[in-house]
Amino acid sequence: MTIDVLADSAAAVAERVRDARSTRTSLRVAGARRWLGAGRPCLATNELSLTALRGVTEYERGDFTITVRAATPLAEIDAVTGREGQWLALQPFGSADGTIGATIATASWGPLASAYGTPRDQLLGCEVVTGVGEIVHAGGRVVKNVAGFDLSRLMTGAWGTLGVITEVTVRLRARPEVDRTLAIVAEGGVDAFCSAAWQWLRGSPYVPLAAELCSATLATRLGLEGRTLLLVRLGGNEAFVRAAEESIATLGTALNVDADVWTRLRTLEPAASAVVRLGSLPSELGPLWSAASSVVERAGGWTHATLERGVVRCVVPAGDGEKEHTQIRGIIEQLHAPGSRVVEQLPAPLWDSVAAPAGDRLSSAVRRTFDPDGVLNPGILAPLS
Amino acid sequence: MIAQPVPSLGGSHDEGLARALAAIVGERRVLERAGELRAYESDGLPGYQRRPSLAVFPGTRDETIAVVRLLAERGVRYVPRGAGTGLSGGALADDVVLLGLHRLTRIISIDADNARAVVEPGVVNSALSRATAPYGLQYAPDPSSQTACTIGGNVAENAGGPHCLKYGVTLNHVLAVTAILPSGEIVELGNAVGEAGGYDLLGAFIGSEGCFGIALDVTVRLVRTPQAIHTLLADFSSVNAAAEAVSAIIASGIVPAALEMMDAPTIQAVEASIYAAGYPTDAAAILLIEIDGAAAGLSEDAARVTRFCTEAGARAVRAATDPADRARLWQGRKKAFGAMGRLAPHLVIQDAVVPRTRLPQVLAEIASIGRKHGVQVCNVFHAGDGNLHPNLPYDASDPEQSEHVHHAMKEIMEACIAAGGTITGEHGIGLDKLPYMERLFSDETLGAMCALRTVFDPDQRSNPGKVVPVHSCREWHAAPSARQRPA
Repeated sequence: MTIDVLADSAAAVAERVRDARSTRTSLRVAGARRWLGAGRPCLATNELSLTALRGVTEYERGDFTITVRAATPLAEIDAVTGREGQWLALQPFGSADGTIGATIATASWGPLASAYGTPRDQLLGCEVVTGVGEIVHAGGRVVKNVAGFDLSRLMTGAWGTLGVITEVTVRLRARPEVDRTLAIVAEGGVDAFCSAAWQWLRGSPYVPLAAELCSATLATRLGLEGRTLLLVRLGGNEAFVRAAEESIATLGTALNVDADVWTRLRTLEPAASAVVRLGSLPSELGPLWSAASSVVERAGGWTHATLERGVVRCVVPAGDGEKEHTQIRGIIEQLHAPGSRVVEQLPAPLWDSVAAPAGDRLSSAVRRTFDPDGVLNPGILAPLS
Repeated sequence: MIAQPVPSLGGSHDEGLARALAAIVGERRVLERAGELRAYESDGLPGYQRRPSLAVFPGTRDETIAVVRLLAERGVRYVPRGAGTGLSGGALADDVVLLGLHRLTRIISIDADNARAVVEPGVVNSALSRATAPYGLQYAPDPSSQTACTIGGNVAENAGGPHCLKYGVTLNHVLAVTAILPSGEIVELGNAVGEAGGYDLLGAFIGSEGCFGIALDVTVRLVRTPQAIHTLLADFSSVNAAAEAVSAIIASGIVPAALEMMDAPTIQAVEASIYAAGYPTDAAAILLIEIDGAAAGLSEDAARVTRFCTEAGARAVRAATDPADRARLWQGRKKAFGAMGRLAPHLVIQDAVVPRTRLPQVLAEIASIGRKHGVQVCNVFHAGDGNLHPNLPYDASDPEQSEHVHHAMKEIMEACIAAGGTITGEHGIGLDKLPYMERLFSDETLGAMCALRTVFDPDQRSNPGKVVPVHSCREWHAAPSARQRPA
């Protein structure tokens, strides 16, 4: 694979895409190169590096919106908005060196999705270069907008296969006045605890910023007591947080935990891991959790679950040998869910056993429309036909 | 899949079609006579009239599927319609078939344990919240027309409402849709259980204004009914002071459930109507502010909000004393458009959004545009998210007045776009804002929108001529492979 000269504008990206199209080559879109291990193997001939597309274009503090170029690292957005007491409430799993463009392209999310939703809920607009090399401005820069068909949502989670995201506008939130984290140990059966925790979440007036169930192995890695526990992040004014703490103590003994635990949770997984997300109705998460945990823990992995979204995330560190691959393949085959199974990351040779998520007729037609010659990230969402 | 027919214009009265539709839905559910069709010539936006060639009203899911497939077989164009409360002329059928969905009113299931519900498209927005109230749950998006508008229409328009400031718009509350495409193909978009993988086709479908297909059922997320609500009425002697208060509240990081502004002409219209809410008639502007959530900590937030208003120059800030008082304060706001009916027979309703930091400046510009053209402007809007509704009452039978209003509307749009805004926050493009699309979007962007529409509706038979100007739908790009129809 060859790496082209850095594209430093949407126009330059468009030129690269048109070049690739006319020369029958294809492009691997890369930002900070943090997520290149994720997704199906990409079979592009050239790499299109966006690292020159970096920095804040416009920051409307009073409007709680920011427009940034695609390869701006999340850490930089955190720093700029943090100075104003604001934040981009996404904090997806993975390094904060990852870029906003990749976060939107992969629709990556983290524990804060419990309160704030996923990238589709935070994206206000974006500039993209389609697979035919046209520059398209989807959405806008204001917090509410229904003008025209929603191309922004279409680009979110498309893994760059419908267009190269070159700039995005996202919604910001005020950092809470008080931000405290509690750990509640799951006493008794995890099933019963899961169900009680969900009942609390659904019924209580205290909406937490995050509520993440962590397996015993994960708890140990986070530097906490090695038992299954629920991490709850509460944000608001002092009176709210205090009342919420009292309310949540009905679930079990609650201990205060340093907020750093969330950074550790985001970043502790080894680069080479198999990561699978399983989904169910939140009320039925207990049995799914137990089944998935027993499979994953046997292999030295761990699980955590975002209760509000009904999603269990399974992480298994993956070695590179054939024996390890065979083991991982076995694990993947055992991970089933009533609602959904999204494979985030796998050793490259194992993808052939996983069904593609965008293989339906409508999705294929969308892909053909926006990238008729398969120039952008070929293979990454679905195997090449 | 059904073979592609030769597209017909689908217009003008077609006796055979009416009979075939009647065989599906029953004769009473097909309207053909001009007198009967009159009721369907307008939607919620006065000023436009378009007569459908005929109207058909299926009563079940199966009938809906059969109707859409019949229209597909015959290549007939049609416009889906819910309650017809839209404010952009989006549900008007100009000599094509009108397909009304308001009879599909079944709430299919309520899953209180998981805070979600599955409904047919004709379920009325507020009926859903009423049905889920016993479980301590509600459906959050609350357009002002919520006592009449349907969930299917809300999905088509990506509807908002006063409380979407805190809770989000329709997009944020729909988990899945079963849709029938114009071809008759039935597709599942999103995922009612767990996560949706692949492209976000659900996100693309929501807000597609009936151009991508018809929702047969919709799975929505419900939110818990707030434990406590504080409703405040702040009264200002200048619009600018009210706008400054809005900016201060937003900048503080407090997210009110709703933050609404009304100016003097609106207040006076409301107070003179049957919807009188007890607003101060000598105020230049009022803010209706609601904060909700857990009781703990909420009075502290209410006190801060009150202080921001007072510091910006509010003459008085009062709190609703009980639920009846709260309902009255809200009724004045939600029925304000109706109250304007007293001022003139027609109304231009704008829906632009501007960055919240620009509110004082943009409101001043709008006032000056109104003065320049000698037209009255009534502002009633979602100040908290910068979503303006400057409304211009006028008499469409007076050509001179219409001309002035037309020019004023255009200049207001230009001012909002120049301030970094957009032309519609929740009402949609429909027919009304079609001429402004090219001011906002490049040819490439409009071309991409058309291309997306073509994926869902290759012949553009569903709600033809709406949202994107037809001439923008040129061959989007030259690639021969892109022109192939999906197999």
